[in-house]
Amino acid sequence: MLSKVLSYGLCGIEGFLVTIETDMVGGIPHIDMVGLGDTAVKESKDRVKSAIRNSGFQFPIKHFTINLAPADTKKEGPHYELSMAVGILSASEQILNKKYKDFIFIGELSLDGTIKKVKGVLPILISARSAGFKKVIIPSDNCEEAKFIDGMEIYAVSNLRQVVMFLNDEIVLNKLETKSFEEVSRQDTNKLDFENVKGQAMAKRALEIAAAGGHNVLMIGPPGSGKSMLAKCFSGILPDLTFEEALQVTKIHSIAGELDLKKGIITERPFRTPHTTATVVSMTGGGNHSKPGEISLAHNGVLFLDEFPEYTRNLIETLRQPLEDGTITVARANQTVTYPSSFTLIASMNPCPCGNYGAKDRECRCTPAQIHKYLSKISGPIMDRIDIHVEVDNISYQDLNNETKEENSESIKARVDKARDIQLKRFKNTKTFSNAKMSVPQMKKFCKLSKECQELMEQAFSKLKLSARAHDRILRVARTIADLEGEIEILPRHIFEAISYRGLDRKYWD
Amino acid sequence: MKEIEKLLVLFSICEIANKKQEIIIEQLGELSVDQALNSNIILENLSTEEYQKVVKNYGKQNFESMLTNMENSGIEIVTIFSDKYPKSLIDLDDRPLILYAKGDMSLCTEKCFGVVGTRVPSNYGRIITERFAKNLAQSGLVIVSGLCYGIDAIAHKATLDVGGKTIAVIASGFNNIYPATNTNLADEIAKNGLILSEYPPSFKAKPYTFPRRNRIVAGLCNGILIPEAGLKSGTVYTKDFALDYGKDVFAIPGNIDSKTSELTNQLIRYGHAECVLASDDIIEFYGLNKISKEKNVQFVSLDEQTIINLLENGQQDFDFLHENSKIPVNILNSCLTTMEIRGLIRKLPGKMFALI
Repeated sequence: MLSKVLSYGLCGIEGFLVTIETDMVGGIPHIDMVGLGDTAVKESKDRVKSAIRNSGFQFPIKHFTINLAPADTKKEGPHYELSMAVGILSASEQILNKKYKDFIFIGELSLDGTIKKVKGVLPILISARSAGFKKVIIPSDNCEEAKFIDGMEIYAVSNLRQVVMFLNDEIVLNKLETKSFEEVSRQDTNKLDFENVKGQAMAKRALEIAAAGGHNVLMIGPPGSGKSMLAKCFSGILPDLTFEEALQVTKIHSIAGELDLKKGIITERPFRTPHTTATVVSMTGGGNHSKPGEISLAHNGVLFLDEFPEYTRNLIETLRQPLEDGTITVARANQTVTYPSSFTLIASMNPCPCGNYGAKDRECRCTPAQIHKYLSKISGPIMDRIDIHVEVDNISYQDLNNETKEENSESIKARVDKARDIQLKRFKNTKTFSNAKMSVPQMKKFCKLSKECQELMEQAFSKLKLSARAHDRILRVARTIADLEGEIEILPRHIFEAISYRGLDRKYWD
Repeated sequence: MKEIEKLLVLFSICEIANKKQEIIIEQLGELSVDQALNSNIILENLSTEEYQKVVKNYGKQNFESMLTNMENSGIEIVTIFSDKYPKSLIDLDDRPLILYAKGDMSLCTEKCFGVVGTRVPSNYGRIITERFAKNLAQSGLVIVSGLCYGIDAIAHKATLDVGGKTIAVIASGFNNIYPATNTNLADEIAKNGLILSEYPPSFKAKPYTFPRRNRIVAGLCNGILIPEAGLKSGTVYTKDFALDYGKDVFAIPGNIDSKTSELTNQLIRYGHAECVLASDDIIEFYGLNKISKEKNVQFVSLDEQTIINLLENGQQDFDFLHENSKIPVNILNSCLTTMEIRGLIRKLPGKMFALI
């Protein structure tokens, strides 16, 4: 007998249909597994065999050929096991109904027949839905992430016996109920709040602008000046994730197996802080199982690179494409995968190897050559993609105990949200979402300077010896500052403020 | 070019010690290079290794084409036999016999004044060096320094900024400017001033060339000013040479706790240097015209006046200004940039600001 059961595989963050064909013939008892499966797929046959037996069904003493079509695409992971089991059972006529043909099966089997959670359920469901499939069976451990998908009949099951009885119409399963995103996202979170950060007015303002316009930030300051603390507070002032964004983020995290299964969906912007020893592959993604890397996990959120120059040069350079296009394409021998990776980069660094250059209360012991070498570890093209440079310095003990109340994140966020609304309107029907990602023609249109402003800009460039590459960055940041104030035109004061965030372009730094 | 001058070029390429060269040219008289190389005078005074090196480097065609190459890249060779050789250097005991020059050699005949100091200045050092160099250059002095990091570079830049004339004496050849970051500055000085080196173009700076360079700086100048230097600074050599040669040494006092002002404070303490508190002290000393003090009166806004008042007692950081001026961050930021563009204040590393 021959049976065909549907399942889904993953390539990058997109799912593709996999048909599991099972052929049962007489002959020497054996299972042949074909269709470019990886080791996990090859090992599936033993798990399937035991699971079938231990669920109270018969495993026929016959020769089986199981084919995973399409045969030319690599298939990874154990989530085809449920469909294989269904295939064998229907080929051996233990499942009599043809109802299974409408379903997509996803699940890993345990030897006792329990169905275990798998990675990547959400992206599979989204792909299956857009391909027009309506009915899916998934492991019950993965049910939370599936609850946000509407327009599909999703059944969550916990063991093989349950599935077979359901397919044989012996029991009735309830469809999974959908949950609304708003409900989950409103839950309280305990993020760090800017009101706990004393002083640092300039850095706070810079981060506010960065949040409002999606600009990348580089913080420069001696050790212990609160760079990491500021960065951690940053995600608290970013606009809330929309449902579409949340789905994208959840998809990526689901594939990486980093999803909180109780919650099922990611409602906060991700904040990723890979360590300085991170390898290039762990950042970009890829590897044998083409897992998304840190920069993709930071999609729609923040990538915080503390001690920026300490990362290997190679790694820093790989940030170029994602910073420019918002995607990363990982090419490997077997496959080429594109992951979304549109994030806000917050980098922090010391001004010199010892860290004290320019500090108020400590002396720097580095030679000029050392300082120069340290600063030049960040190449020009990367510097080019960072709009805002801000200096951070230690605050004094008095400031620390200062009773003055600092502004809290909520009110900063209110301003940020307003500025984002203006941008959403501005970039309606385009692929741009924020000022930071404006294309050159868009800049020409939206960052028009009055004659007065142009003259001032020229003066500023010659007086302050700004490098030419700073020009576009300044315009983009000035646009955001104007948006924060609700101004339609960019005014001189916006430009001047934007210039003040170009510290490293300035020659005073040598 | 005279034959003997060619010989000096040859010697400088082969790194023959200055003293040996002096002895040889004293005895040599008018001989062509070929004759000289075969004469006993050279054989006696050079070691065999040195002699072989000289002969090897004098492969006739190579040597001549090297000379034309230098000429084509704008390098002028000035030896003690040339009229252009600076008068101020001629009588020094350890005078350089040859100078490679790029730029306007006539600057050496004007009143030269050295501004030298530490490679790692504090913010204080930056501000005063810039201020003094600008004022001195505007009153007509040619500012001489060593094109190194820190005070040297600041002095050169400040002079060029106000359209003054500056001489850089470098411790390497022209093709190996040290530090390489100052290569652009070197080009600018070559255009608007003068760069001197006693080493051939491909020579790389070595630890001993820096103190030797300093004797030329001290020799060229009527006096030197040390805005900021620590006890271990190479400026110590420049100061020693200047005192030896009987030049005027000026120093600016600094914070007594500051490591970068230890040398200047000690020089003043022991009376080795004249203490100066304003550029006018030096300008008066040389009887030069003071630059007119009327700054073009600038209109300042209320916020700007508040900032100026806060900065009156010296440099302050952004947070201090923010707290004490009660100006919102965004306005303060743009205000500070405007003031910087208008030349009222100066931004320093560590988000510090100071009045100019």
